[in-house]
Amino acid sequence: MDFVDILGNIWSGFGTTAGVVALALLYGIPFALVFGTLQHELTGWRRFAVTSFIEFWRSSPIIVLLFVFYYSLPMIRIELSALAVGSMVLGMNIGGYGTQAVRAGLQALDRGQKEAGISLGLSPLQNLLLVQMPQALRAGIPTYINLLIQLIKGTVLVSLLSLADMTFRAKEIAQITFTPAPAYSALLLSYLIICYPLTILGRYLEQRHGSTERRQDV
Amino acid sequence: MFDLQFLADAFPVILESLGTTLWVTIASCALAVVLGFMLEILRRSSRQFGFVFRFVTDFIRSTPILVQIYFLYFVLPQFGVTLPALVIGVFSLGLYYSAYLAEVFKAGIDAVPRGQTEAAQSLGLRWTDQVVRVIMPQMLRHIAAPMGNYFVSLLKATPYLAVIAVPEMLGAALELGSDTFRYAEPMVATEIIFLVLAIGIAQLVRVLEIRMMRSAKR
Repeated sequence: MDFVDILGNIWSGFGTTAGVVALALLYGIPFALVFGTLQHELTGWRRFAVTSFIEFWRSSPIIVLLFVFYYSLPMIRIELSALAVGSMVLGMNIGGYGTQAVRAGLQALDRGQKEAGISLGLSPLQNLLLVQMPQALRAGIPTYINLLIQLIKGTVLVSLLSLADMTFRAKEIAQITFTPAPAYSALLLSYLIICYPLTILGRYLEQRHGSTERRQDV
Repeated sequence: MFDLQFLADAFPVILESLGTTLWVTIASCALAVVLGFMLEILRRSSRQFGFVFRFVTDFIRSTPILVQIYFLYFVLPQFGVTLPALVIGVFSLGLYYSAYLAEVFKAGIDAVPRGQTEAAQSLGLRWTDQVVRVIMPQMLRHIAAPMGNYFVSLLKATPYLAVIAVPEMLGAALELGSDTFRYAEPMVATEIIFLVLAIGIAQLVRVLEIRMMRSAKR
């Protein structure tokens, strides 16, 4: 197998990788938007409940979370495919980070914006969706790009659940050919091809707009 | 069914590896700080080759940590470099996070106004005194919070080392699982331990940050 064959073989797993990213976004984006807003708006025990839920997804190692759900869900009679569990856990984890970006964006917004919305007679929901959200989200774009990179890199974990993504294919090739060097070099190159443009884009936007959230943790 | 007794029994077994997890975290953090600082200083100080160090940082950030671990673990021996899994583990975590810390140091160095260096020079301070007593303390205030976040993030990345059989907590949990054919309980126990550790350290970082900000105002 020459290097091009190996690359081709690895990229035959791209569909799975992309599928996991797409499914994870279906979990992550709504979670980030709804819970980020709730954490910003609520107070008292309601806020505490929301924060606890977010922290559960955000503060645990993603690989441990993945195993927890993969092995525990069947115990309560929930039989899900590895793809379903993997994308849910990855999506909720990245969504947990996303909530903090959404909340930070809303907090950084000038008070006058909300007050202007009120004085125009907008309902609280209209005010949020039409005035506050668009501005808050735009400010967080560099952060969202970083989170997307984080998510793409995180999909590697589904190879541990025997899903045939790019990493799984590379591991197979390394085992069959007994030469790990080309297989893993090709794998590094493949992820670089996918993520490097995003890294550059993220840095460019950050320099242009300035990061809203310098202290975001990944 | 989920066995609560087994869950309780799993804790002491997994906690035996807590020491390894913490030791790996601390060693990797130290390495990440040193490498990250070097990357940033080298990038700054060389005009012609600055882009090389920038690319190295971007390369590390654009590829998944798990793939980097596989690469170092399986490919280095092909070139005659055989290192214990623990060393590979510490090195790969340190290298990965150095790329993120380099960015933090960049922001930290940029945040100290030029006037501070000039003032220190005009006071006739030696170069070491300028850096250690004038620049570093002011820089530390800016980088403490993001650096702390990355340390927590690094702690959460240590379970990746289970894939190369470093005996940290997830490794211990997986071993317990394969011995007993029950994975759910050990995983939940690991999850709880990591959650407590990560939230605890994050709170500690927050307290330190507040205290630093207070002393900065004085």
